[in-house]
Amino acid sequence: MKPLLKIANVSKSFGSVEALIDVNLEVHAGEILGLLGDNGAGKSTLIKILSGVYSADQGQFEFDGRRVDLNTPSAAQRIGIATVYQDLSLVNTRPVAHNIFLGREPRRWGWILDQRKMEKDAQVILERLRIQLPSVAVDVEVLSGGQRQAVAVARSIAQSSQLLLLDEPWASLGVEQTQKVRLLMKDLRSHGVAIILITHDLSEIISDTDRIAVLRQGRLVGYTKSSQTTQHEIIGWITGAVKGEIRQEEKLQ
Amino acid sequence: MKMVLIKRQGSWTILGLLATLLILAITFTLASPYFLTHKNFLNIGQAISIRGIIAIGLTIVMITGGLDLSIAAVAAAAGMIAATLINNHVDGTTAALVGLLGAAVLGAINGTIVVRLHINPIIATLGTLLFFRGLAFVISGGANIVIGVNTWSSLGRGFLFGIPVSLIFFLLLIILSYLIMRYSVTGNYLYAIGGNSQACRNAGIKVDFLRYSTYIVTAIFAGLAGLILMSQSGTALPIALSGAELDIIAAVILGGISLSGGRGSLFGTFLGVLIIGVINNGLILSGVPIYWQLVARGFILIVAVTLDGLRRGGGYR
Repeated sequence: MKPLLKIANVSKSFGSVEALIDVNLEVHAGEILGLLGDNGAGKSTLIKILSGVYSADQGQFEFDGRRVDLNTPSAAQRIGIATVYQDLSLVNTRPVAHNIFLGREPRRWGWILDQRKMEKDAQVILERLRIQLPSVAVDVEVLSGGQRQAVAVARSIAQSSQLLLLDEPWASLGVEQTQKVRLLMKDLRSHGVAIILITHDLSEIISDTDRIAVLRQGRLVGYTKSSQTTQHEIIGWITGAVKGEIRQEEKLQ
Repeated sequence: MKMVLIKRQGSWTILGLLATLLILAITFTLASPYFLTHKNFLNIGQAISIRGIIAIGLTIVMITGGLDLSIAAVAAAAGMIAATLINNHVDGTTAALVGLLGAAVLGAINGTIVVRLHINPIIATLGTLLFFRGLAFVISGGANIVIGVNTWSSLGRGFLFGIPVSLIFFLLLIILSYLIMRYSVTGNYLYAIGGNSQACRNAGIKVDFLRYSTYIVTAIFAGLAGLILMSQSGTALPIALSGAELDIIAAVILGGISLSGGRGSLFGTFLGVLIIGVINNGLILSGVPIYWQLVARGFILIVAVTLDGLRRGGGYR
C-alpha cells in the first residue's frame, strides 16, 4: 500500500545543534502513527517541519505519491496537512463556528461573512464527527477542555485535511475528556484520515496507535507496528536502555 | 451557569448602560430645569459628535487589542494642517483631504511603532501624543488659526431637519462602522485578532497588516473629528481636544470594549459616548464647579476600567 506521507532523509540543525538527523518515516491513510521520544528528541521539530513552520535543511517529502514542498503553514494546509497545536490555537472570545472556519469563512459578495452557511456547515462537521456542543454560536471560552480539543480537531477536518498532526492532544484534559478525544481520533481514522500523534502518555499507546516511531537525539531509533511491541519495550527505546529496531526497514528506504 | 453568564455578558453590558443613562437623565432633570429640553438634547448631540467620531476609530483599534492615546493630538494636527491650507487660499475640499492624509500619515507612524517595532501601544502612543501635539503647535508657531465661515462651516454648524449635521455625520459613521465590524469578514478578523493573534497567524490571516491598518483608520476618524471641530468654531487650535483622549477612552471602555481586545461592539461605544456626554452636560447645567467636573471624569474612567476588569473575570494581573 502506498503511503500517504513519505519522509525521506530529513535533517534539520539549529546552529551546532542537530535536531533531526536523516529521518525516514511513512504514514498511511487511515492509520495512527505514535511519534514518541524524550524531551529534545526532535518530535516537535519534525511536526513543525511537516506543518510548514520550519524548513528542513535536507530531505524530501512525498504526499499521496507526489513530491511536495512544505515551506509555509499555508503550503502544508493546501496539500491537506493540518496541525492541532498543544495550545489549540483557538480564539476563545469567538463562537465555535467562527473558530472552525477561521481564515476560510464562507462569504457573500466577496467580503460579507455568510454567517448562516458557516453555522450550518460547522454543525454538519460536528455531527459527522459526533461531537456534541451546546451550540455552534457559543464562544469557545465557555466550553470544557475536551470540547475545545474537539473544536480544534473539527477545524482541521473543515480544511479537508488528510493528515492530522496532534501535539499532546490530552495534555490538559481530564480522564473523561481524554477518552472522548481518543474516540474522536479513532473515528477519524475510520474515515481514512491519517494521524501523527505526539504524546508523553504511554499508558494506552499500544491501543491508541497502529504504528509507533521513536526518536532519540534527533535520530529515528525505533519503528514498529504497535501490535509487535510492548509499552515496556517502547520506554526502553525512548530512554536508550534498550537498542531500538526499525521493524519495517524495507518500507522506510 | 458560567456559560449562560458569559454568553449574555454583552447584553447585560448594554442593559446596564441603558439603565445608567436613564438614572443620569432622571437625576439631571431633577437638578436642572434646562436638562430635559429639545435644545439641550441638540447641544448634547452636537457635543458628542466630535468625540464620538474619534471613539469609533479607537473602538476598532481596541478590538484588535491595541490602543491609541494620540487620537486627540491627531485631531488637532489635522485641523491645523487644513486651516493653514485654507488660509493660504487652498480650496476647502483639498485642504480637508490633505488634513485627512496628514492624519493617516500620523496613524501610519503609530502603526509602524506598535506593529513593526513591537512597542507596547500605551508607551508608543503616549510618545506620539506629545510628538503630534508638538507638531500641531509647530504648524502655526503656537498661534490659533482663524478660518472664519467657509464652505465647510455647514459640517460643524449646520442643521438638517433640525438635527446638527455633525450629529447626523457621527450617527451615519457609527452605523456604517458597526455593520462592517459585525458582518464583514475583515471585521470578524479584527475581533479574532484581539482574541488570539497567534491563532489568526496560524490560520493564515494577515494579522500585522490588519493591525497596522487599524491605526491608520483610527487616525483618519480622529482627523475627520478635527476638521468638524475646526468648522464648528471657525478656528483651528493647536491645543484642541487636549485631555479629551481620556474621556474618549473612558467612554469606549465603559461601552464594553475590553482593554485586552476581542470583545465589545460599537453600539456599546455609542452608549458610552452618550453617557459621558450627558454627564458633562448635566454637571454644567447643574452648576457643579469645574474642578468637581474633573473629579467626576476621573471617577468615570476608574469605574470604566474596573468594570472592564470585572467583565474579564478577575481584573488585571
